[in-house]
Amino acid sequence: MTQQQSRTAALVLDKASVAYGHIPVLEELDGTVASGEAVALIGPNGAGKSTLIKAILGLVPVVRGRIEVLGTTPAQARRDVAYVPQADTLDPDFPVSVEQVVMMGRYRKIGWLRRPSAADRTAVAQALEQVGLSERARHRFGTLSGGQRQRVLLARAIAAQPRLLLLDEPFNGVDAVSQHALLDAIAVLKRQGAAVVVSTHDLSIAHLACDEVCLLNHHQFGFGPTEAVLTPERLRATYGGHALELRGDRVIVTQT
Amino acid sequence: MSWLDSTVVRAMIEAALVGVLGGVVGVFVIARRLPFFTMALTHGTFPGIVVAALLGLNLYLGGGVFGLLVVLAVVVFSRARGQDFTAATGIALSGGFALGVVLVSAQDGFSKDLTAYTVGDVLAVSTSDLVITAVVAAVVLLVLVALGKELLLVAFDPVGASAVGLPRAVLDFVLLAVIEVTVVATVPALGAILTVALIVGPAATARLITDRLALLFPIAAVVGVVCALAGVGVSTQWNIAAGASIALFVGLAFGVAFIGSVLRGRTAVAGSNPASDPVSA
Repeated sequence: MTQQQSRTAALVLDKASVAYGHIPVLEELDGTVASGEAVALIGPNGAGKSTLIKAILGLVPVVRGRIEVLGTTPAQARRDVAYVPQADTLDPDFPVSVEQVVMMGRYRKIGWLRRPSAADRTAVAQALEQVGLSERARHRFGTLSGGQRQRVLLARAIAAQPRLLLLDEPFNGVDAVSQHALLDAIAVLKRQGAAVVVSTHDLSIAHLACDEVCLLNHHQFGFGPTEAVLTPERLRATYGGHALELRGDRVIVTQT
Repeated sequence: MSWLDSTVVRAMIEAALVGVLGGVVGVFVIARRLPFFTMALTHGTFPGIVVAALLGLNLYLGGGVFGLLVVLAVVVFSRARGQDFTAATGIALSGGFALGVVLVSAQDGFSKDLTAYTVGDVLAVSTSDLVITAVVAAVVLLVLVALGKELLLVAFDPVGASAVGLPRAVLDFVLLAVIEVTVVATVPALGAILTVALIVGPAATARLITDRLALLFPIAAVVGVVCALAGVGVSTQWNIAAGASIALFVGLAFGVAFIGSVLRGRTAVAGSNPASDPVSA
């Protein structure tokens, strides 16, 4: 990655306010994520983390201010953006195999009325290998554990070769093996120059995987380098009464 | 085309066509969990068919227009805040059927009795009915092949489909329209009440046999054709209702597949999902 690329802003929030109809969800967000960097969205449930991800995808309107994705509007940037939903939001009974799910990441490149090529199948196999699930390719998606399903969905995003990766609570209820595999795959994507936005309420994930943190609870309570932003004071402000202080410098969030 | 002059031959061809159509479309109906919606659609076409019969118009046209109204009503109502798709569907189902009954009962000396519309009569299909069913089957299969991967993504992960920019509302409408024309093409043969058997049953049976999407379509189509032909065969042999015979064969196929699935340990009658693998977490 060249110095030039690393300075390119993949995501710009410019006094952005987001609303569902007349109900404001997020107000006045400001910040920048550069290519090759990862930002953690941290805040309690209902804080608007998923809504921000949907706004970056162009699925929820920005009512004031601006969200710029890869130098253009969210809707126009979709081709280069990949979204990883929470695995447990998908029907585990759906008759679809692991490799079919990963192939869905290629649909945009394949285009309407066309069938997957050999190159698409290679990309699928490589993506599955990257998350360590090659041997599960032919299994039905719903037969895998929660953590493995989350890895399959990340493989789907990898197969799309995104420049911006959005992950919605990927570590919820995920076992240690899968968490490790997810973090490794995210690190590879970052090295390849992709920007990553990951919502989580696991503060250790933010320390492990993210260069920056955005503290959210309808408003922005901080956006910047992880060590500088994840302070007890800011966490208390973000979580209200649900943050407990330990020995003055550590914070436990008691309710997410 | 003298062989088409035979009532039984026409019935067999019609049965085979609606068997394939119902089986293939049913795979999407089952995957999207739309059997109840399909049920509502079959009942929603009923008043349209009655109106068309009263006015001397084409029955398919009447059923098609009313089915489309049901699709629109359900979509609009379920998109309204706080309303649920199942409730909208239930109202469309009972409302559509009630309207059909009212129309039939209000018409003095209505020549055809209610039974033909509710349970159908595959032995009464004309050559033009056959042509319509064949055209519908060809168009539906073409649409499903052309838009297969997009319909799959919308069915499996609707938000993910929107996230890559697929027109979700258009694709949803295409699928509902495909189900609708399938219903309209099948109702004359199986009737408003029994059509749902041939759209839901073969696909549900196939689902008990395999998890693989690529195999679901051919298996469901074969189950649909075999049940439809067996129903017509039994019906002509012993002079019993054809539509009901077809529906009974579908029920039998599902029952056998279900027992087979339980015996093979694929389906747990009660308790946990045997497919989950606790070893490799």
